[in-house]
Amino acid sequence: MKIKSLSLAISSAAILAFSSLLSPAYSAGKDITIVIAEEPDIVDPCEATRSVVGKIVKQNVTETLTEINPADGSVTPRLATSWKQTDNLTWEFNIRKGIKFHDGEDLNAKAVVKSINRALNPKYDCEIRTKFFGNIKLTATATGSHTISIKTETPQPIMPAMMGTMTVVSPNTQEAKGVRDPKGTGPYLFNTWTPGQSVTLKRFDGYWGVKPEVENATYVWRNESAVRAAMVKTGEADIAASIGVQDANDPKMDFSYFNSETSRLRIDMTRAPLNDIRVRKAMNLAIDLDGLTGTIFPEGVVKMTQIVVPSINGHNPTLKPWPYNPAEAKKLVKAAKADGVPVDKEIVLIGRLGIYPNSTEAMEAMHAMLTEVGFNIKIKMMETAGWLNFLSRPYAEDRGPALQQSQHDNNNGDAVFSMFNKYACKGAQSTTCDKQVDAWITEATAAIGDKRRDTWRKAQKKLHEEIIPDVQMFHMVGFSRVNPRIKFTPTISTNSEIQISQVKFN
Amino acid sequence: MRKYLSKRILSSLLAITGLFVMVFFLARLTGDPGHLYLPIDAPVEVRKEFSEKHGFNDPIYIQFGRFLEDLSEGDLGYSLRKERPAIDIVLEAIPVTLSLAAVAMTIALIGAILIGSLAAYKPNGLFDRISRVVSLTAASAPDFWIAITAILIFSVSLGWLPTSGIGGLPYWIMPIGILVIRPLGLLVQVVRGSMITTLSSDFVKTARAKGVKEKKVIFKHALRNGLLPVITVAGDQAAAIANGAVIVETIFGWPGIGKLMIDSIMQRDFAVVQASILVTAIVILSINIIIDITYAILDPRIRHK
Repeated sequence: MKIKSLSLAISSAAILAFSSLLSPAYSAGKDITIVIAEEPDIVDPCEATRSVVGKIVKQNVTETLTEINPADGSVTPRLATSWKQTDNLTWEFNIRKGIKFHDGEDLNAKAVVKSINRALNPKYDCEIRTKFFGNIKLTATATGSHTISIKTETPQPIMPAMMGTMTVVSPNTQEAKGVRDPKGTGPYLFNTWTPGQSVTLKRFDGYWGVKPEVENATYVWRNESAVRAAMVKTGEADIAASIGVQDANDPKMDFSYFNSETSRLRIDMTRAPLNDIRVRKAMNLAIDLDGLTGTIFPEGVVKMTQIVVPSINGHNPTLKPWPYNPAEAKKLVKAAKADGVPVDKEIVLIGRLGIYPNSTEAMEAMHAMLTEVGFNIKIKMMETAGWLNFLSRPYAEDRGPALQQSQHDNNNGDAVFSMFNKYACKGAQSTTCDKQVDAWITEATAAIGDKRRDTWRKAQKKLHEEIIPDVQMFHMVGFSRVNPRIKFTPTISTNSEIQISQVKFN
Repeated sequence: MRKYLSKRILSSLLAITGLFVMVFFLARLTGDPGHLYLPIDAPVEVRKEFSEKHGFNDPIYIQFGRFLEDLSEGDLGYSLRKERPAIDIVLEAIPVTLSLAAVAMTIALIGAILIGSLAAYKPNGLFDRISRVVSLTAASAPDFWIAITAILIFSVSLGWLPTSGIGGLPYWIMPIGILVIRPLGLLVQVVRGSMITTLSSDFVKTARAKGVKEKKVIFKHALRNGLLPVITVAGDQAAAIANGAVIVETIFGWPGIGKLMIDSIMQRDFAVVQASILVTAIVILSINIIIDITYAILDPRIRHK
């Protein structure tokens, strides 16, 4: 008996010693660990519109002149205290005074102008330029110690919202090349970057705003969603910014949120039989979106009626989603066929592997539903690189009729970031051309206030009811896992930025 | 021996040159990197400007000429994505994979020799039967599933090991454990088969008849001869890990060459693709040369050819 007890005691001690020896590092104190899905290849704030960079630097290390409120898309001050349009082509921004960059330089008009010019330098393929300012000729000038004027060749009525993408970096930042140790004015200093392993940020004691609670933040990356979720579960991490629906199985830790993405099948309207409106209507009537919700797509997705989510200026709330009515769809297909429309022609459904969770299964379901009402659909699932060859102009002249699985992200406050590219006659990814819609896009782009909003809404309505350039699917949701030791509520912005200053401890 | 080695090295260099040229052209067949580098919504003009600036719209022979010119100066190119010399990125990743491969293969080889030899000592005995079932299962085990299951058991449920990441001993246990499973399973099978054949050879019977101790018969006389096929399979397995333990690197967050290669292929970061293939090819060909040398040491017939 004694020997048994002794063995038991020794075994228990050995197990305890083994466990303590092997115990992983847990987040503790006022430090947090954030696990993201991929490693940043660069951390230059000029690339902050890319989600992997934005989650680390945007509003943490570097700040923007303005900020877009994720709840309603309104524009609020950040480094700029106020702004006004002085004429049709010019905006004036007043810069907050008494702010210093992390390297001790003063934030003033000259520094902001230098930062804008750096971002827009064509010698540098900065994403802020290539994504938001590619077609805009812009001149920034310091008109006072803390006042700048921004002049454009064409009216840019949403310049304040656009300045919500423009991160401001120290004037000492090197030109025309990405940096690996960015210096901004944000609440956190960029501390270390160990390639392949982690990035750390450290609280900036000289920050102009409210002192954040978190002292140090470590970013690590794991490609696999199950691992990211497990890291928060075990306490190795505090926030897993994005996890798959299959791993969001703990209601105490997991949050779902609108992630500003909208999924659809783009219809190539230039090719028969897709150039017939009955065919496009039938395709929308054939899809059982309710059946897809909670099965292939997670609970919480919302049926789309237009390319932008409800918080974006220009969203038309009066539009109703397409009903599921396969009988009506079959009638439309039959009628089109009777009029000589080649509805039997093979239509390629170009899918992209991993564009969202269960993307292949989603395409298989769409294929089955479209086939059911009489279409001849062939699925072609592709990697991103191949899929992109079909997405943007110039399109191949000899292409056949195709539907393309797409997903669009706009959390930048206004429909302008979606409408031209997707639906204008010269839009990079547009396959439709309607003179009226084109005119409205041009008109809304130059308008402000109610006129702008209402013009977008008119365009959305016509697209939804009369043109039908998409098989409409869903406004999507994302999932995050948050350690209960902290308070952090993911929002529509979590896809593109994680403001550490908003994290509190329980 | 020296002549034999010189021949092997020369043929390896030719193979690397051929591979390098092939990778250059095949990579460019996949399309313009600008499509992946630029945001989906980038205007057509910006796409054109990007391709022109980086020379991606030049005829491929001009791009190849430029590439050879850089190569002659020892420049393997600059990563479009990471804005760093490609070779620096590759040289950061390769030691990670090589350490994983070295530790995993050492454990697998030692384990396989012990288990395989013991199993071969009494074919169809209890130990042999158990080791056969276990090694066959291990050889066909899916890495991905085992890795995720191991994380759920040892990290989430028991809290013994970290889920992932790089660090001290605890961080090595699961990745190495996963990497060892398949080569160990395969090698146990090979060692067992080879040892059964060797143990029934005439020279082993002679040694036994002379009264040599059984331990010495197995581990000195038989094993040396039985190891020849094992070396070949172990070399293949080591090369496979060196070529990228992609699943382990991806799941456990180890920044090795396999993951780097996959990422750079997906992003059309040509310079990194080329540099990583070059370095990996050199590593694999080195492993092959080491195998040849080991063969020559173990088998005098090769040495004296």
